[in-house]
Amino acid sequence: MSLLLPFKRSIRRAILSTAAVLCILFASLSAPATTLRLPRHEKVVLKNGLTVLLLEKRGVPMISVVALVKAGAAADAVGLEGLASVTAGLLRKGTRNRTAQQFAADLDFTGGSFSADASADSTIVTAQFLSKDVARGLDLFSDALLRPIFPQEEVDKLLKQNLDGIKAAKDEAQSVLTTYFAGYLYGAHPYGRPEGGDEISLTRIRRDDVQKFYAAHYTPGNTILSVAGDFSAAEMRKNVEETFGRWAGSPAPAEKVAALAPLKGKRLLLIDKPDATQTFFAIGNVGTAGGDPDRVAIRVVNTIFGGRFTSLLNEELRVKSGLTYGAFSFFESRKAPGPFLIFSYTENSTTTQAIDMALQVLAELHKNGVTKEQLDSAKSYIKGQFPPTIETSMQMARLITTIEFFGLDDSEVNDLESRVDAVTPEMARHAIEKHYPLDNLIFVLIGKAAAIRPAVQKYASQMDQRAIADPGFWPPPANAVKPK
Amino acid sequence: MKKVREVVRAAVLVACVAVFAGPASAQSFPVETRTLKNGMKVLVQTDHSIPNISLYIFYRIGSRNERPGTTGISHFFEHMMFNGAKKYGPGELDKVMEANGGSNNAYTTRDVTVYQDWFPRSALELIFDIEADRIRDLSFDPEKIKSERGVVASERRTSVDANNFGVLDEQLWATAFLAHPYQWPVLGWMSDIEHWTMDDLKHHFEMGYSPSNATMVVAGDVSADEIFKLCEKYIEPIPSHAPPPPVTTVEPEPLGERRILVHKYAQLPIVMIGYHVPQTNNADFYALNLLRTALYHGESSRMYRRLVDQDQIALDVSAFVEPAFDPTLEVIVAQPKQNVDSQKVEKAMYEEIDLVKNAFISDQELEKAKNVRLVEFYTQMQAINGRANTIGTYEVFFGDYRKLFDAAKNYAAVTKEDVQHVARKYFGENNRTVATLIPQAEEPKTEEAKPQEKAKP
Repeated sequence: MSLLLPFKRSIRRAILSTAAVLCILFASLSAPATTLRLPRHEKVVLKNGLTVLLLEKRGVPMISVVALVKAGAAADAVGLEGLASVTAGLLRKGTRNRTAQQFAADLDFTGGSFSADASADSTIVTAQFLSKDVARGLDLFSDALLRPIFPQEEVDKLLKQNLDGIKAAKDEAQSVLTTYFAGYLYGAHPYGRPEGGDEISLTRIRRDDVQKFYAAHYTPGNTILSVAGDFSAAEMRKNVEETFGRWAGSPAPAEKVAALAPLKGKRLLLIDKPDATQTFFAIGNVGTAGGDPDRVAIRVVNTIFGGRFTSLLNEELRVKSGLTYGAFSFFESRKAPGPFLIFSYTENSTTTQAIDMALQVLAELHKNGVTKEQLDSAKSYIKGQFPPTIETSMQMARLITTIEFFGLDDSEVNDLESRVDAVTPEMARHAIEKHYPLDNLIFVLIGKAAAIRPAVQKYASQMDQRAIADPGFWPPPANAVKPK
Repeated sequence: MKKVREVVRAAVLVACVAVFAGPASAQSFPVETRTLKNGMKVLVQTDHSIPNISLYIFYRIGSRNERPGTTGISHFFEHMMFNGAKKYGPGELDKVMEANGGSNNAYTTRDVTVYQDWFPRSALELIFDIEADRIRDLSFDPEKIKSERGVVASERRTSVDANNFGVLDEQLWATAFLAHPYQWPVLGWMSDIEHWTMDDLKHHFEMGYSPSNATMVVAGDVSADEIFKLCEKYIEPIPSHAPPPPVTTVEPEPLGERRILVHKYAQLPIVMIGYHVPQTNNADFYALNLLRTALYHGESSRMYRRLVDQDQIALDVSAFVEPAFDPTLEVIVAQPKQNVDSQKVEKAMYEEIDLVKNAFISDQELEKAKNVRLVEFYTQMQAINGRANTIGTYEVFFGDYRKLFDAAKNYAAVTKEDVQHVARKYFGENNRTVATLIPQAEEPKTEEAKPQEKAKP
């Protein structure tokens, strides 16, 4: 609810951090190697297969816990979209030791926090509490992760809740733009599934589906557990072994998401929101995988292109022309190639002016590449902005988890300054040519169709349209019934 | 977007985050202060954990200092502070700052305008040069004013037109305040955004941007001495002038409940209730915060249990108060589920409020509320940007940053009786304004259809 947001000059930070949830490797990797290194942490693999990472960080009396289960929306069955998300949401809603209400009471009494969310590749469960509450904190966390019982009543409640949540989200165009974009870009590919499900799939999911999903994926061998904060590593290791050592279960065979090649041609999806005064648009294609060897060069180029306030996109669409409050671009970092997209919004009447301009900026990136001055500036920016992204125990726990998940190592942080500095104009040129689309583009627009449809037809040979209130995203669910 | 919402909540909670650890675990964050000869107060909190610095400048000027016809000018002016001064011309400020590893932002509220710089140590002197340049010699380029109007209009379309909560919030405040300037939106009414003049902007600068009207807070990898030396060189020579005239309007006592209906294209309704509560530095601040925690914090809170879990009539319920110099609103927001009568949700909320008026909250609830405040405190203080913002907020809204370190004591002193007392004192029928968003049926979809006029109450 942005109603009480103090009105900021720019929301780019918030937007970028949203985009960067799974994108830490792109969004933040750079460090003055001489002064900032990832604190020493230990890795233990327990006998049951659970990977444990422990990082001591004293100073603030808090502890952060992150568990990454290597299954997310991409593991949802077709027709049961949202299952990973619903499973995550139900973890705290009744365990062998606590009802949902007891869990809430015990958690809130500590003042601590708990979250569980599924994204495309994984489900991330987090908790944060005062270090004096370590025993209760770990007990609550393990209760949710290891011992959920999915009471029927809570399953029913959450499904209804999430169903209305989708309708609420559709009342706010920008909150569903990337969901439509993913669907239109990836289609039947697992990355096309709406992570939270849709109005149809959420009526299909049953308790049994949740139990099966949990049993298949929530296993020690399929999970990375990180703890960071104010503790002694030796004691915490003992604690973790006692708490999670007896967790049993064999992982389902690893489901590898196949890479989707960038789509050919141009297609446009128009989502009609009849009350819109502004068009929200995303333009892009399939990008690259999180561990791409070009990732540092891409990070530098994207900082220049659409990753900061003085980026080429924001400079043209906002600073020079005043068409929008913001224009960005990002590569979403995933195991298999994730989406790349340009994102902005503008008044109905300037829709094509803004889109034309974004396309022009993209074309010029291909034509002109980047200058030495731009490269130097972006490098300084990345290095200077990195340290505050690994300042807190939760940030560190998330970062070491992500590094482990992607099969990378601490050099992602510790060598980043030198890697950023090593990016040459040729490497930048290569990154542009290889990773930025030019002629093959997917457009997704949410806006007032009656006002913009004729003008935006020029962008693509294929054009599709749906009303925002129609159930589902894209493609339309098989038995979607149009509301009267 | 969920993440954005979290960010929003974190920002809003700033002024509420106030518990300090009990004596056993008390931590001190030493703050050094100096008042410059031109009247600007400077606070420095040294922390060498990362090689970075957060520098915040709080100006005591916001939309409460505006008048009809120029509403939103404080916020617009905030944008103009990035659009060129004598040394760093249009576009230069951002380019130079980013090329040196820094970034910036700013926010405007009804009460203050706050400028934020986040940068590596190496950019420290540059930041002072930039800040001094724009406080002393801001320029007003007509071309930039024109394009920035477009930016702000887009901002308004995003946070109001495209956000039903934004629409309703604006209507709520406009209805709750008859006399006091809190009645108009921080972003300003669209016709004012389109019409204010160069002279209005210059007047605003003269009114609000005297160094004596500002407080600088620095947290991070720097010593107080370094900061004070840079202040002597860059900031102290800038002359002060008169501060903004005091806002003397006092909102008259409400004579009864006020209600407003908003008809808008939507799938789900929204209910917002604003209760008049005192300004931040009022003694009831602590009891009000603990009451709000008991009612709304987490899934164990009374409102969540009742509306979301038990009755299953709402998607979500929450409550917020922003830091304020003058008596303000505590805003409660609930989103009824589809096909649930919003009056049913409203009634359930009043029943829960009556319960805390008629009987004490439990010891457990009181202790929980205090624990929640403690964790929030550490959450804010764990990073240098949160620390700069929290220290500054206390200094500006309580008049003394040390109130931050008294908060534990002040919360510990709150009793169940105090909580009941504030519940009875502020949460009465006559003291509230209720805004309800009524979802409107679909608008025409075809190209041929004419844009239709929205039903107006």
